[in-house]
Amino acid sequence: MDALFEYRQALIDGILITLALAFFSLLIAVGLGLLGALAKLSERPAARACADGYTTVVRGVPDLVLMLLVFFGGQQLLNSLGGVTGWWDYIEVNQFIAGVFTIGVIFGAYMTESFRGAILAIPRGQIEAGLAYGMTSFQVFYRIIAPQMVRYALPSFTNNWLVQLKTTALVSVIGLHDVVYNAFVAGRTTRQLFTFMFAVLVIYLVLTAISDVFLRWLGRYYSKDMRSATR
Amino acid sequence: MFTRFTIPVLIPSVFAFAVLMASTAPLAKDIRIGVEGAYPPFSAKTADGELFGFDIDIAWALCEEMGATCELVEQDWDGMIPGLLARKYDAIIASMSITEERKKRVDFSEKYYQTPARFVAKKGTALTDNAAALAGKRIGVQRGTIHQCYLEKAFPDAQPVLYPTQEEVFSDLLIGRIDAQLSDSIVALDGFLNTDEGKDFDFMGGNHIDVECHGEGVGVAVRKQDQDLRDSFSAAINTIRTNGVYQEINAKYFDFNIYGD
Repeated sequence: MDALFEYRQALIDGILITLALAFFSLLIAVGLGLLGALAKLSERPAARACADGYTTVVRGVPDLVLMLLVFFGGQQLLNSLGGVTGWWDYIEVNQFIAGVFTIGVIFGAYMTESFRGAILAIPRGQIEAGLAYGMTSFQVFYRIIAPQMVRYALPSFTNNWLVQLKTTALVSVIGLHDVVYNAFVAGRTTRQLFTFMFAVLVIYLVLTAISDVFLRWLGRYYSKDMRSATR
Repeated sequence: MFTRFTIPVLIPSVFAFAVLMASTAPLAKDIRIGVEGAYPPFSAKTADGELFGFDIDIAWALCEEMGATCELVEQDWDGMIPGLLARKYDAIIASMSITEERKKRVDFSEKYYQTPARFVAKKGTALTDNAAALAGKRIGVQRGTIHQCYLEKAFPDAQPVLYPTQEEVFSDLLIGRIDAQLSDSIVALDGFLNTDEGKDFDFMGGNHIDVECHGEGVGVAVRKQDQDLRDSFSAAINTIRTNGVYQEINAKYFDFNIYGD
């Protein structure tokens, strides 16, 4: 336990990295998820094909492989591009940005499916009614689809978010020092690996519990017009 | 560059050598070195985030010798060589053994140490370190290391159990999930046998060195095109071996000669 206290700063720094990674990659994932869902439901075959390709490839490749590919492969690609054109000698691919980008792209694919399912759950007649009233398609999305989509998407969104929070641990392989990496290093240095792994377990439980409380509140907020006896 | 020359600890011969190095290896001014940070006693990290250990001291000593400005870059072991090839850093000083397989992708300096591999098992075990005795036994080893190579080559009938880190090998040995483990003797001694957890365990059998797997010792890895840098490191290793700096670092961590023969 003394070792935990001694290495508290490393753990705190790690938690901040983990949270920042999770938060920024969530923004990307939600953005890509919305775009993907709309593309999949679009009437344009090209948009549907793009979105289908995206979700098929990304969901089919292991997260770790994709991360290594973006970080190391992307770096080598940039280097040789610079070498061939002579425009630059070396550009550093920032580890944090590479991590955020990769995790965002991976979970954007899962979010796409969540959002698509949620939009499909909205009765078609509501959308037709909106259009019949003369709303533009943006107005239909903003007034009718979006609020209900959030309600329907929340359960699987919560699921994705919890997995995503834990996926951030993969970034240690590209040299980012998240809470799991820092705990590993501290545990190996002090030879109390188990103590530190237990601390990581508790940290993740606390983080997921906090997000659970918030997401429940969000769920209640978006269901306030759906009062029922069971709630 | 000139501030380096004014460092008072440099004895005249070293000074002369540094000038020589500086003139022959202009590339060696700014060097980023990939290190690990999780392989005590070779590399570990204090609570303040400060790296320390044999590899780290050697890295700084070599930099000093080469008159270079160095930056240590902490990198997870699994991404060590990819990071070098992607130019995240210019050299690796992370107890990386010189092997034929790695030589296909990177170049190595002369060795800066070499220690034998040894098995560790419970005290008073009936097992011995020959291929017949270990047939069907579960032997823990760190994945992607020279020890995995040697285990699979010399003990083909043993059942290798692979782990991402050496600490996990020790953890499972302690729990009893594996019958024995194979690793570097120093790592086993310092990381396990000399700790409270390892008190019921001991070395099993003798030293194992096999050139095909264990290679020619541990060296500094650089990209294949950086041959000047590789030669500078080799020369610097030679110098610190002769001027006593190496022996000082050696004595700080080990009570025997870690360079090998």
